Amino acid sequence: MARKFESKVTTASEAVSRLIHDGATVGIGGQTIGRCSMALVHEMVRQGKKDLRLVGCSMSMTMDLLVGAGLVRSTECGTGNLERYGGTFRWRRAVEEGRIEVVDHSHLAMALRFLAGSLGLPFMPSKSMLGTDILRQEGRDGVPPFALVSNPWDREDRVVLLPACTPDVSIVHAQRADEMGNVVIDGFTTHEPEMVRASKAVVVSCEELVSPDDIKGCPDRTTIPYLYVDAVVVQPWGAYPTAAHRYYEHDDAHILSYQRAARAGGSQYEEYLDRYVRGCSTFDEFLEEAAGPARLEELRKAMEAVI
Amino acid sequence: MTAPFILDELMVVEASRHISDGDVVLVGTGLPMVAALMALKSHAPNMCYVVETGPIAPEVIPTPVSVSDPRVMYRAARVGSLLESLGGVLQRGLVDVGFIGGAQVDQFANVNSTLIGDSARPKVRFPGSGGANDVASHAKKVLIITRHERRRFPTHCDYVTSPGYVDGPHGRKRAALPTPYPDVVVVTDMTVMSIDKQAGRLRVDKLMPGVSLEHLLENTGFEPMQPPSIETTETPSPAELRVLREEVDPGNVYVKRA
Repeated sequence: MARKFESKVTTASEAVSRLIHDGATVGIGGQTIGRCSMALVHEMVRQGKKDLRLVGCSMSMTMDLLVGAGLVRSTECGTGNLERYGGTFRWRRAVEEGRIEVVDHSHLAMALRFLAGSLGLPFMPSKSMLGTDILRQEGRDGVPPFALVSNPWDREDRVVLLPACTPDVSIVHAQRADEMGNVVIDGFTTHEPEMVRASKAVVVSCEELVSPDDIKGCPDRTTIPYLYVDAVVVQPWGAYPTAAHRYYEHDDAHILSYQRAARAGGSQYEEYLDRYVRGCSTFDEFLEEAAGPARLEELRKAMEAVI
Repeated sequence: MTAPFILDELMVVEASRHISDGDVVLVGTGLPMVAALMALKSHAPNMCYVVETGPIAPEVIPTPVSVSDPRVMYRAARVGSLLESLGGVLQRGLVDVGFIGGAQVDQFANVNSTLIGDSARPKVRFPGSGGANDVASHAKKVLIITRHERRRFPTHCDYVTSPGYVDGPHGRKRAALPTPYPDVVVVTDMTVMSIDKQAGRLRVDKLMPGVSLEHLLENTGFEPMQPPSIETTETPSPAELRVLREEVDPGNVYVKRA
């Protein structure tokens, strides 16, 4: 695909509408309480995307919101988890009730599947998951999720082959990007460098738009170069209530209020979605409703204290 | 001299003793993280803390609530990616001690953190492997920390998420898991058990103070191997308790002291 040096800056609404289709396999960035693509996920819920197949490593509120809003058909990941704040309750309930298909992996397995995709290879070997029930899963539509093969250079040895994972589109929230889509992530990058390079399309939201000269001044800091990226959405606080390293801390109060609604389910959960997601026409409206400027300033200062 | 302490504190301090200075240690969050920080802030200042999200050798500000918490990135040697931590460090064979937790631990030290009941329609669904399977597959020593309840220690796990010795002494070899096969240590609020490599099964090494063997067996779903003499775990020293309470978990985030 030819990539011109042109601006990819757009709105969440336009990017989600243009690049995320019903039935798509969607790569989810971020991890637990860090740098989750909340703004883009809110927009996906508002637009009512259907039959999504989510792929990622450690998936938290983003997956839980999409499952809770009824948009998800299957998940392939390593965990659904909010660690200190509990499980991903809507996902968990959907799995227990048989409403979504799940293929479990280890975290390294998912990272290696994205690596295979990012290198244009059909699969990648690993020595994880041997001797476990993860390896015994049947997979979807009669296609086994893993294969066990002999090591050609040591017939006594066997390895697990993991098929490449190539999302139709991935969503990632980063600290900075320029208008062409050169992306800089501060702090941990979890599975994102490989997932993004394996994806057919990529939507990046960012805290700050920087100039191409800022990128070119220290190109070794570019986490993802522009040629993988299709849309740049400038959305300060776009990971809220999760954290953006060096910018703001996660908001434990809002995460806990989400978790209470998610654990309760039913009308309490619908009330959360109506008040905070469907009832807000933009993510800025949500920020006002959920936090307000004073709370956001507290979170910014809380981050300053730990970097 | 014995200072008053609670069982969670004893469990964390005991687990921290299984880390040696200079070890490369891969940790998630929860009580395992408290145990690793306890080692870092006491007897293992040269420990290299590795976090699956990417941080390598951070100084760690107490008390992180997640593997993506900025406190686990503080003054690290590098903050990289999951592929680097779980692939380049862990699967590469550089991790001396890896911590995992789980809902069930069976007689072979296999761990379940995925589900209870039938895979197709689980009665209870847990978070899943995360990095735990990778740790159990590749670390030289696997430390499992969990609170001791009979239902958590069945003869066979409902679902094996992370391999112990699979089904006995030759289980890891038959499964083609990497060599050398790891030491596996289970630390609970009642006991310290470890894998007997000849038998491929868990053996009682120590009992926590005040816990009898009978009480342990009543609360364990399988019969662990029992050597003729079983030691009692050394109680935490006042110095260890001070480090734990003041430096590792001052806000009582993980160790609840009421």
